[in-house]
Amino acid sequence: MKVKAIWIAIAVGGVGVGCASSVPPPNDQWSAAQADVGRATAVATTVPDARLHLQLAQEDLAKSKQLIGDDNKRATNLAVLARVEAQLAFSLAKQATAQDEATKAQAELQKSTSQPVTPPMQPVTPTTLPVTH
Amino acid sequence: MNWNHALAAAVPVILAGSVGCAGEHIPPKSLVDARADYAQARNGVAMQLDPTDVHEADMSLQTAEQAFHDSPDDPGTNDLAIIADRKALYAQSQAGLMKAQQDTQLATQQLQTTRSQQLAMAQGQLGATQMQLQQQQAQSIADQQKLATMEANLKDARATIAKIASIKDDDRGMVITLQGEVLFKTGKSDLKPAAMAKLDQIADALKSKEAPITVYGFTDNVGAHDMNMDLSQRRADSVRTYLISKGVPQDLIKAEGKGPDSPVADNESLEGRAQNRRVELVVSPKK
Repeated sequence: MKVKAIWIAIAVGGVGVGCASSVPPPNDQWSAAQADVGRATAVATTVPDARLHLQLAQEDLAKSKQLIGDDNKRATNLAVLARVEAQLAFSLAKQATAQDEATKAQAELQKSTSQPVTPPMQPVTPTTLPVTH
Repeated sequence: MNWNHALAAAVPVILAGSVGCAGEHIPPKSLVDARADYAQARNGVAMQLDPTDVHEADMSLQTAEQAFHDSPDDPGTNDLAIIADRKALYAQSQAGLMKAQQDTQLATQQLQTTRSQQLAMAQGQLGATQMQLQQQQAQSIADQQKLATMEANLKDARATIAKIASIKDDDRGMVITLQGEVLFKTGKSDLKPAAMAKLDQIADALKSKEAPITVYGFTDNVGAHDMNMDLSQRRADSVRTYLISKGVPQDLIKAEGKGPDSPVADNESLEGRAQNRRVELVVSPKK
């Protein structure tokens, strides 16, 4: 009787382990991630770091899609990860642009402060009429 | 111990091993990276500029740490660690973005300030230059008026002198010629009273001109050459001295005796010799 109870406990535990299928498909997370990937794609292609994270986001998004239905828990994680990667890519691209603008503004300031003010006009020498005797 | 007892004892051990063994596992690289990047965000500028995203990274890291504690070998633990790492990097990036925007704003404000100052300085210089130009133009007009006045005075002086002496212009300047008979007795160098009256008018006309004057004395060829040279010098000196006494500046007038060497007429005739006995005042152009 005791042995039977133990096997029942193991069976229950097995059911507990296999509860992944009870996780709902991450449809909302996946759509949100897809939107963020699209937003990042518009700006991240010219900045190497941003491009790398965008690529990772696209891969995670694709993996997430494949796992939906089979492993919704992992699919959810990957959708969230894809979204975070896309947001990071977007931020890195914006940061690079902002830093470029800051550098240009500082260079312009430096140029302006080192540039002398236009010198005053040379005094005009009045013409003198010839002296006649 | 039979087989059933052994199995019953092993179940809790197996369950415990599957849950609480994180302390014996080496954390994955993703979790190590997440810890380091979060620490950098928390200790860096991100904490001042973007504390909200740093807090979110903190929450994600705690979730990943819990997952590692609970299920160190679960692939989901690695996912959560990467998510925590990316959130820490995101917080840093957002802080970098804000910092760059602040730098741009600051530089733009400073640039505007600098340009305003430079504009004000340039306007000040322009105003000063315009004032200087106006002063120069006013001075030029004054100079021209003064010159016109001087020319008018000179014209008046010339007209005055022309009544008592002959005047001509040559390459030396204005030449005023007074005949010897008008100024001196024969063989003498003392001025006649009538000569003084004429020289008074000439002095009045010339003393304010500030032009160099040379008094030349000339004789005819009667008599010894040396004597004529001496006479012509003394006569030139007499005229010079008199003009100085009447206000012609001493440093502007000099005298030179030329004797008989520069006749203007034939010394054979009485009339020619009279023309050769003369005094010339050469008024040179003002330097």
